[in-house]
Amino acid sequence: MTAELGHTPLLTHEVGSLDKPGWRVKAYAGKPLDDKDLEEARTWGERLTVPEYEKLLDLLQHAPFGKEQKAEIQRWSSLYALRLEESAGLDVVYDGEQQRTEMYDWAVNHTNGFERRGSVRAFDNKYYSKAAVVGPISLREPFHNAEFSYLVSVADAELKIPVTGAYTIADWSFDERYDVDTDLREPAADRRRKRKAARRDFVLEVARNLIRPNLEALIGLGARWIQVDEPGASTEADELDLFVDSFNASVEGLNATFSTHLCFSDYNLFFPAIERMSQCRQFAVGFANYDSRELGTSEEARPGYHVIKKFRDLPYKPALGLGVLDIHSDFIESPELVRDRVLYAVRVFNDPSRIHVTPDCGLRTRSWKVAYEKLKNMTAGVELARKQLGLT
Amino acid sequence: MVAATRGIDRGRVGTDAVEEAFAEDLAAFVRVQTSAGMDFFSDGLLKWQDIFRPLMGALGAKPHTLVRWFDTNTFFREPELVGPIPTVTNPDGVVADPSVPRPRVTTLPSPYMFSRAAHTDQDRNHLMVDLAMRVLRPAIDAAVASGSELIHLEDPWLGYFGITRDDWAPLAEALQVIHRDLKATLAFHVYFGDAGPHIDQLLRLPVDAIGVDLIETDLAALGSGWDKGLVAGIINGRSSILESPDNTVEVARHLADTVRPRNLYLSSNCELGYLPTVVAERKVLRLGEAAHKVKELVSV
Repeated sequence: MTAELGHTPLLTHEVGSLDKPGWRVKAYAGKPLDDKDLEEARTWGERLTVPEYEKLLDLLQHAPFGKEQKAEIQRWSSLYALRLEESAGLDVVYDGEQQRTEMYDWAVNHTNGFERRGSVRAFDNKYYSKAAVVGPISLREPFHNAEFSYLVSVADAELKIPVTGAYTIADWSFDERYDVDTDLREPAADRRRKRKAARRDFVLEVARNLIRPNLEALIGLGARWIQVDEPGASTEADELDLFVDSFNASVEGLNATFSTHLCFSDYNLFFPAIERMSQCRQFAVGFANYDSRELGTSEEARPGYHVIKKFRDLPYKPALGLGVLDIHSDFIESPELVRDRVLYAVRVFNDPSRIHVTPDCGLRTRSWKVAYEKLKNMTAGVELARKQLGLT
Repeated sequence: MVAATRGIDRGRVGTDAVEEAFAEDLAAFVRVQTSAGMDFFSDGLLKWQDIFRPLMGALGAKPHTLVRWFDTNTFFREPELVGPIPTVTNPDGVVADPSVPRPRVTTLPSPYMFSRAAHTDQDRNHLMVDLAMRVLRPAIDAAVASGSELIHLEDPWLGYFGITRDDWAPLAEALQVIHRDLKATLAFHVYFGDAGPHIDQLLRLPVDAIGVDLIETDLAALGSGWDKGLVAGIINGRSSILESPDNTVEVARHLADTVRPRNLYLSSNCELGYLPTVVAERKVLRLGEAAHKVKELVSV
């Protein structure tokens, strides 16, 4: 975030992922594309006025694809996603993580010290792949440089790079390195103590040896705003201090603006631990999932947002990325509903420059049609709020 | 099945592909259990999107808000239980596929956990008894009629969040509703927490066996001379490290010698759904290997 962006009232941005188009998924997997895939590429290319999208249509008709062609198709996918976000009117954008396999998998696959173990259910029919840490952790190669360099060359809007955080990477991994000698005949208290110490070693090693060098590489390429994604941060209520320590170890002294993304948690758990995260200039937090869909700006009308007072009172006065779109539902929030959520937050903070407006989380579980409608209504709702607040 | 369900969510495959994938995965899981020499067979709850979903389906309720499942990276749909609870008449979703061998084990949420995890406007202890009577008992009767001989009520809520003194009597009442005239063994399994502080109360509950998460509980806290069975959660369902069969045998022998339960069941400490299939299958095989050795030792 530049100094200018930091003072933009009701700044809008995405949070991270978007679904990958069928043509991108199939082409990368070496599966045959059908007319529906080509039509999808054509329709969205037209709708988003993607420059020279006909070249993509031509490329897609020349399967099988070699390594360079697959990389080119991934870049097209990035460009489409970028244009979707810009076309929806977002102030700050990225590419919906089109070039990554998934937020966890992508990171550990570029890291020494991990081995894949398989998929595990997250919720409903959504699964994520898990790896185990088995050896010393180190960055094999900076793993966001290529996508960032490409996006810098094509983006019109400001960029914010989502990067999976250390705590989440450790929490979503199995530990086959730090806590391995469990004997159930030992007293449980001793076993717990060993487990806790091992966990600390694991998380901080990820922060120092994986996340930090990757951030340094991005900053070297000119990255200014990096969002450290920590959906796992509140998984263990007694490890909030460890999460904060890992964030600080990842970013301390680095020359960029850092924010973090938290979602689907009891956010009360984060206090007071995050009072020590003074280098975090924005918390992007999901709230819509817990809120009513009725209009209104009163306390009673906005049950999902009461906890924002705690973010307001953080001593270092970060911005709040206010999640206003439920990413687990195809329900399209109306501009008026977005407006009311924003107006409630502005009243609580009494400072619109500390309120940014976002979806609850990445939109990858929604179709592009739904994601686009949601994002367009989000920016329309922000415009309504700006008007009402006299900010335009 | 992972790929098939992802595909159907995105409109890329039909229900036939999901059913086919389910049948393949279930057959593989049955083969593993058979190879491991399991005494009770499970369908692995492969179709269940969370522990409450088939029951909520039987109630005709829609899935509600996503909520984190304790300290895991798994989420469940909060059961929406507002207003009077109807009696379940068609609990087919909890009955295992006919291809699952008998005797079977059926895993369900305990009435305590169900009542606490729900989004409700009712008194939770009243709801607990109501759920036992109107939802769980009909589901269990259907499962028993289809070959379940072990009913495994899982309760991470008690293990993780604890229980107040006043809640024990309604819990006993709810379990009595389930246990009365039940033609199967009823186990109440506490996990994701230390069962040690609750052992005395647990042993007073009207069930046939108590399950304990031994990853979180001191062996010494279990006491001795149980007049119930012990479901020993001895395999860590949250770690990808495979347990040593010898160590598992040693712990099992220790439990048999010191706790002296009426029956000793060897199990994982929690569901194996937190593990990738290949790891879970290896753990089942290890469990079977250990159980086999323990049985040999006991018979000597």
